[in-house]
Amino acid sequence: MTTTAEVPVPGQHHDDVDAVGRRQLTGVCLLILADVAFVGALIFSYFYLRGLNTSNAWLSDGAATAPIWVGWAIAAALVVSAGFFRWALAGLRKGNLDRLVSGIGVAVVIVLLDAAAQVVQIMSFSFKPDANAYASSVYTLAGANLFHLVLTGLVGLGVWNRARIGKYTAADPWQVHIIAIWWVWIAVAGIGGALTTSFIASPNIGS
Amino acid sequence: MTAALVDQPVEPVSTAGGMLRRLNLVTAIAGGLILGLAGWLISHSLLQDDDLGSDQVVLVTLSCWAAGFMIGIGALNGPIGWALGRDLRHEDELFLAGKDQGVARYFRFTTDHKVVGIQYLVVTMVLFAFGGTLAMLIRTNLISPHSHFLNPQTYNAIVGLHGLIMIIATIIMVTGPFGNFIMPIMIGARDMAFPRLNALSLWLIVAAIPTILSAAVLGGIPTGWVGYAPLADQAPPGMDAYSVFIIIFAVSSAVAGANITTTVLTMRARGMSWNRTPIFVYGTVASVGLAIPAFPLFMASQVLLQVDRTQGGQFFVASGGGSPWLYSNLFWLMGHPEVYVILIPALAALMELTPVFSRRPLFSFNAAVISIAGIVGLSIMVWAHHMYASGWAPDLNGPFMLTTEMISVPTGLLFLVILGTVWRGRIWTTVPMMATYAMLWNFIIGGITGIYLSDVPADYALHGSMFVTAHFHYTLMGAGLTGAIGALAYWFPKMTGRMLNERAGYISFWFVQIGFNVTFLGMFAVGLAGQPRRVVTYAQLFAAGNFVSTIGAYSIGIGMLVLLYAVINSWLHGQVAPANPWGAKTLEWTVPNPIPLENFEVLPVVTSDAYGYGEEDEPASGIDPEREPVLAGASADLGPRPVGASNVEGGP
Amino acid sequence: MSAESIVASPKRRRRDEVRHIAWLWLGLTILLVLFSIWVPARLMGPPASPTMRAVESTMTVFSIAASPVAALVWAIAIYSLFRWKSRGEPTEDGPPFRGNGPVTASWAIVSSVLCVFLLIWGLAEMTSTTSPAEASNPLVVNVTGQQWVWTFSYPDQGDVESDQLYLPLNRPVVFHVSSRDVIHSFWVVQMGIKVDANPGVTTKTSVTPDKLGVFDIRCAELCGLRHADMETSAHVVNPADFAAWITQNGGHT
Ligand SMILES: [Cu+2]
Repeated sequence: MTTTAEVPVPGQHHDDVDAVGRRQLTGVCLLILADVAFVGALIFSYFYLRGLNTSNAWLSDGAATAPIWVGWAIAAALVVSAGFFRWALAGLRKGNLDRLVSGIGVAVVIVLLDAAAQVVQIMSFSFKPDANAYASSVYTLAGANLFHLVLTGLVGLGVWNRARIGKYTAADPWQVHIIAIWWVWIAVAGIGGALTTSFIASPNIGS
Repeated sequence: MTAALVDQPVEPVSTAGGMLRRLNLVTAIAGGLILGLAGWLISHSLLQDDDLGSDQVVLVTLSCWAAGFMIGIGALNGPIGWALGRDLRHEDELFLAGKDQGVARYFRFTTDHKVVGIQYLVVTMVLFAFGGTLAMLIRTNLISPHSHFLNPQTYNAIVGLHGLIMIIATIIMVTGPFGNFIMPIMIGARDMAFPRLNALSLWLIVAAIPTILSAAVLGGIPTGWVGYAPLADQAPPGMDAYSVFIIIFAVSSAVAGANITTTVLTMRARGMSWNRTPIFVYGTVASVGLAIPAFPLFMASQVLLQVDRTQGGQFFVASGGGSPWLYSNLFWLMGHPEVYVILIPALAALMELTPVFSRRPLFSFNAAVISIAGIVGLSIMVWAHHMYASGWAPDLNGPFMLTTEMISVPTGLLFLVILGTVWRGRIWTTVPMMATYAMLWNFIIGGITGIYLSDVPADYALHGSMFVTAHFHYTLMGAGLTGAIGALAYWFPKMTGRMLNERAGYISFWFVQIGFNVTFLGMFAVGLAGQPRRVVTYAQLFAAGNFVSTIGAYSIGIGMLVLLYAVINSWLHGQVAPANPWGAKTLEWTVPNPIPLENFEVLPVVTSDAYGYGEEDEPASGIDPEREPVLAGASADLGPRPVGASNVEGGP
Repeated sequence: MSAESIVASPKRRRRDEVRHIAWLWLGLTILLVLFSIWVPARLMGPPASPTMRAVESTMTVFSIAASPVAALVWAIAIYSLFRWKSRGEPTEDGPPFRGNGPVTASWAIVSSVLCVFLLIWGLAEMTSTTSPAEASNPLVVNVTGQQWVWTFSYPDQGDVESDQLYLPLNRPVVFHVSSRDVIHSFWVVQMGIKVDANPGVTTKTSVTPDKLGVFDIRCAELCGLRHADMETSAHVVNPADFAAWITQNGGHT
């Protein structure tokens, strides 16, 4: 179990950019894992209550529901913004800093508009969260998506500002790379939410 | 989060740290009070004064308190500085790490992992003091069938608070203090992967503690620590404090988990391959890694509960299409992994120190790693054994019985590892080693009583009785807390630079362990006889067992007070500790006391694992000792006396 | 270490150690088996149903099965504390072996076998305790929990309602359990049955009472302020007395 020792570099208190970058990537992936569990729990709750349909009250007869297309439109905008962000990242990798700044800028604007759209959707639901379990679940999923959008918008503003003042180079694209992964995850979560709320009526009726 | 590594000359009047120079615990409390008060005034005047409104006001107020506290401690300075493109200079990093700040650094957003470890230790002890006091009140009430010491409302509130505070304290009791202070040094790192996230995880817990204490004046947590809905839907606003606390704690544990896991994955010293990584590091990573996917489920359950309580949601209300089973599934999907989040690092700490005090290599390192991995893997598939009697899915009881009973196999291997390690060793019965023996005694009882509960028909008879309470106290306290106390006694010299008073340690040990067994053996008896959990009064039949339990509990209380005295007294006046008082071989014992800011002047290179007791030291040929002062393995020159020349006798 | 033990030949010494531990193991096992036979089932009190009888024999059998395991762990631990204890700080290291493949393998195999035994025992017990009542014309009792009382009604006997449970001897009973508010847990202590009373759904449990007498019903899930007081009695009476009780309360049999 022993080997000969290698000689370390004395006084090397900080690692190179790639080591730091990989480390930060690992950390963010673990935080995404936690968020996956959280979003997964909300989606599980939706399907579990829909499947149980306790007291036949998941969605009582004639109760209002949300139009499915709005959720998908919000998710689609998220996908487009993630696409712009990755396009900006690809530009950075080629050394094109203008493309980096403009790509991130477009992605951030889309996300913030999407957040506004999410607020409008929540305000204009034709039911209140206390109507039934369906209503509670839809509100909660929409709220979680809004939280994602706002958080990502704030992070996006920061990374856009840093890109603008030249903090990123083709040699050290790690932060943009990591945030791009986060961006893709919230797009996936948005699709997950839209897909979930597309299944409305309970398959378990009259038990 | 990367720092620009431009070393600028330090100016005579240092501005390092910027605004953080003026922020500390006092500004944090001020910030929390100001924002909390503002939140209360605004929400109180805007929201309606009805059933939902009162919960909304509490939710807003407590959230504002926590946000104000975090702003006041300086948690937002980092992210905002990052967004503005102001990266830290090297002297800012040093300031953040607490350089030359003396005691003040313990009251700041300090990033040095050793400071965070000490802060966690103090927070853990404060939580245990609260939770233990509540336990004494509970046991005092139960000293006789109708003592009327506490009224039912107070009693229920105290039972919930005791459970929750103790669960949180036990979750952080090993990975918080020792995972932060010791583990990075043990793997030869200068700090954690994300020092600022480390400080964030600690201060989030500090911000959350007043919220849970506020539950005491908001009607308490009348649901037990599990917070079962729909009882939680009809509970007083103390339940909102519970939700806020759990949500903050879940964020804290996700942050801490990501940080510790990344540190171990990416920052181990050169040469520290996985088969040379100390078992305590495995235990720490298994614990916090398991918490990463688990606690968000608890957080989700509280978000849903808050939708119910503040928006009139129907998640857990059967008449509105909700289901209590949704809550219990989310809760136990977190709750059973959580048991192992508590247990694994405590057992790993004991596995780490047993070789030291047996002067023997760890018996079957591979079995230890496999059993930790096996427990982690199985622990996510057993949650519904808490719900056999709930009726949610009777057909699944058989499969869950299978997975639950399978856990006994990897758990049994842990016993083998420790027994094999003491086998023909040179047993040095220090307080840490006594903790190992106490664990062997208690955990066997906790494990076997768990087998009865895994059996579906037996569980129908025992579920919800005092038998269950006694069982999990044997695991979480008898094994978990005992392991944490062993870890504290073991690493105390490294963390404080002083030896823990041994005599007081022994006195405390015997008061706690004897009292513990008296308390919970008595509780097993009344549980078997049919006493339900969480009752304020009980039938005459259970009087003798409860009386015995209460006397035992007082003995635990006395022992814990002695331990508290020993810790405080030794910390202030204890005998100064040498760098390696136990002659141990892990890396943390190679650094001097007090430990320099970045731990290692020259990063160590590891050439063997840390369990080579009785083995010939490797000849250090070809290594320049000037440039290579720190090696794993042989470190006897730093100890108070050389470990005797290896006396190899061969295996059995 | 005493001087004597160092002088003795290492091989013989090791054999002696194993022999001592084996004796200690045997002694502790016997004590624990005696404990297993006498204590756990006795603490649970006299059973009032075949279910409870099965549970109590499970407690006894599992305790006996666990006795050698606990005894082995404690035997080695206790022996090491006396025989291998160093006075103060050790001046030498112990033997450096790092494992023992056959020992580890047998440990894992034996614990797996024990685990399989527990599982098979449990599955057989589950079948034997749940099937009889579902088989033959059981008495149906609706159980409703609410803060903080139990209500029993007999749908096939003209919806007779009572806050005490009356059951005829030796007739299988199926309980349909529900709740009006929060979760309660319906527990007939001496019959060894328990199932949660959940709002909005009905859960089932069944038992065949086979002992005359008055038994305890308690709530086993914290349900609010007066959870501790949510208890009542189960009266197991002769079928004729049961019929009389039903008629007396306005029902028919
Ligand atoms: Cu109840």
